[in-house]
Amino acid sequence: MPLLINRAVATEDNWLLVDAENVAAHLNEDIVVPFELFAEQTETLLASEGGLGVQINGDQDFDLVLQNLERLSLVAVEFPAFTDGRGFSFARILRRSGFTGQIRAVGDVSQDRLEYMERCGFDAFAIADERFSESMVQAFGEVSVHYQGCADDERPIFRQQ
Amino acid sequence: MYQYNEQDQSLINDRVAQYRDQTRRFLAGEIPDEEFRALRLMNGLYIQRQAPMLRIAVPYGLMNSTQVRKLADITRKYDKGYAHVTTRTNIQLNWPKLEEVPDILAELAEVQMHAIQTSGNCLRNTTTDHFAGIIPDEIEDPRPWCEIIRQWTTLHPEFAYLPRKFKIAVTGGPEDRAASQVHDIGLHLVKNDAGEVGFEVLVGGGLGRTPHIGKVIREFLPQKDLLTYLEAILRVYNLNGRRDNKYKARIKILVSALGVEEFAKLVEAEWDIIRDTETRLTDEHIDRIKGFFEPQPYAADAVDGLAVLENQLEDDAEFRVWYERNTRDHKVAGYRAVIVSLKPHLKAPGDITDVQLDVVADLADRYNFGEIRSTHDQNLVLAHVAAGDLYNLWKSLNDNNLARPNIGTLTDMIVCPGFDFCSLANAHTLNVADQINQKFDDFDYLYDIGEIKLNMSGCINACAHHHVAHIGILGVDKKGEDFYQITLGGSSREDASLGKIIGKAVPQADVADTIETILQVYVENRQEEERFIDTVRRIGVAPFKERVYAPVN
Repeated sequence: MPLLINRAVATEDNWLLVDAENVAAHLNEDIVVPFELFAEQTETLLASEGGLGVQINGDQDFDLVLQNLERLSLVAVEFPAFTDGRGFSFARILRRSGFTGQIRAVGDVSQDRLEYMERCGFDAFAIADERFSESMVQAFGEVSVHYQGCADDERPIFRQQ
Repeated sequence: MYQYNEQDQSLINDRVAQYRDQTRRFLAGEIPDEEFRALRLMNGLYIQRQAPMLRIAVPYGLMNSTQVRKLADITRKYDKGYAHVTTRTNIQLNWPKLEEVPDILAELAEVQMHAIQTSGNCLRNTTTDHFAGIIPDEIEDPRPWCEIIRQWTTLHPEFAYLPRKFKIAVTGGPEDRAASQVHDIGLHLVKNDAGEVGFEVLVGGGLGRTPHIGKVIREFLPQKDLLTYLEAILRVYNLNGRRDNKYKARIKILVSALGVEEFAKLVEAEWDIIRDTETRLTDEHIDRIKGFFEPQPYAADAVDGLAVLENQLEDDAEFRVWYERNTRDHKVAGYRAVIVSLKPHLKAPGDITDVQLDVVADLADRYNFGEIRSTHDQNLVLAHVAAGDLYNLWKSLNDNNLARPNIGTLTDMIVCPGFDFCSLANAHTLNVADQINQKFDDFDYLYDIGEIKLNMSGCINACAHHHVAHIGILGVDKKGEDFYQITLGGSSREDASLGKIIGKAVPQADVADTIETILQVYVENRQEEERFIDTVRRIGVAPFKERVYAPVN
């Protein structure tokens, strides 16, 4: 699945999405665990050797992620449908909570939401093959003026120079 | 009014290019239907029964003559020579071609107009009082606040995929002509005990299937905190509003599910975190925006026109009738506000032709500082006409079928386009509006009935706000035939209330007769000077119900 990181097509992805079956075998690698697994094995995972990421969607307990941000290097926010806007607020809250790791949009992610997602704090985007094109990186910065502050620049237009 | 600077212009130009590319990719099969649907809706484009419909934003109902001329031009060039004014004070085109919409948007951008967020599950056009800035008991002109909100809402990256649409209305004082209590957020400018001006904040109003009157969640919000507080409400809603059922997705459902206290608690907790962020307004910004809404350069000698006007009113009875019905007080002596009636006999309520648009633009230049307002009631307002100009203005309006003296009367109806145009509608509305117009064509009778608000929606989505009309009419479909359910006692004003259903829906042919029966009950029961709504409130709906459904002998 193509991946965009910081507005460019990434050739490598060192993050491995694990599940309950195989997690034990990868505890010293950089892994992304689904939220349910993270909730079940929080202590073990927090104590693991490798980098840790959690994948969460809007129905799950975001607070548990927020409580463990110091140990997390990646949060993958799942969009079950492109119309589900909760992930935008998740990213915004992650950044204002001081999270500097990768925020990756996964699920129903396509060109026409990239710009808004980036403004809210996403810096990585996993795109389904059939929705991917090299030219989609042009979507970033399609509209150059921003009235409101957001995670990319907290200053609204009236505080910008 | 607000004038775009380079940044504002650059934003809408970019947006036109972006939408043009989205349309191109859709037509090339690169964007799935369902996804393009969301994208086009966020740009005001519906696919309707017969053709697409494009809703053009008129922020807080304020336009200049250049913009109105451009609208006239666009209706000629891309449509069928007319436009329609909506209850959100926007302008709709009924026959644009999907492929031509980017060109229409490019033309609109030339006059600082757009169709951004006029539909879709996002932050919609903010509305206000069509008499803003000219009424004596206003605490403050609400329009600068509407503009501040317009900027904040426009292309907001976090709140573009809300559970459902989101509407904000602002009023400048105790009178409410913006139906603020049936908005997702209603903002009322108020003064606190210390004499400071701020906002009373209501949340969770709305119509549709489950109508709700908004509830106060904050009695006084300091002005500078406006945007951070709105952000807190929107974030709580975005995260907690229901997404599993679109009929339960509006904020009103969340507020009633949680209870207003609990909802307010969540908002206050979020606000605590963000109230001192960069989004907090600055004096400089507030002053800059207010600078665009300075009073018009009124002529000191306008009062001299009053004597002339006095004679004209005496000499011309037709003019006097129009003056009494279609003009209102202005806080500056020698001026009046004129309501341009878009409710002519046997024409679709709220429609205006290209020729009429041009006429109104010319008249606004000649008599009204070039300003035109659209109203929630689907009329236009020329808000600052000098007394001495009223007679000539009336003659021109009259020559163009824009001076029907029916403002505030039964035939000044709010009516959605209904089954003739709208793909959501269950029943026709325009032919019933004609039926009502034919039945109640006697102005003496209408004036005797006095102030009354009749709204008619073609389906439960309630675009014409039937729940909050004195007489509400809702079209329903029964086995392929149009029937009409009638409610009485609603109001969208400062005394907001929801109408009560009087009984089973009546067949289409009986609607006007039923209204006549209802009005008879009113005339028999009213006390001196009592308005229809007050009689309904005093005696309840039972006497009306009894008469309407009385067995026929």
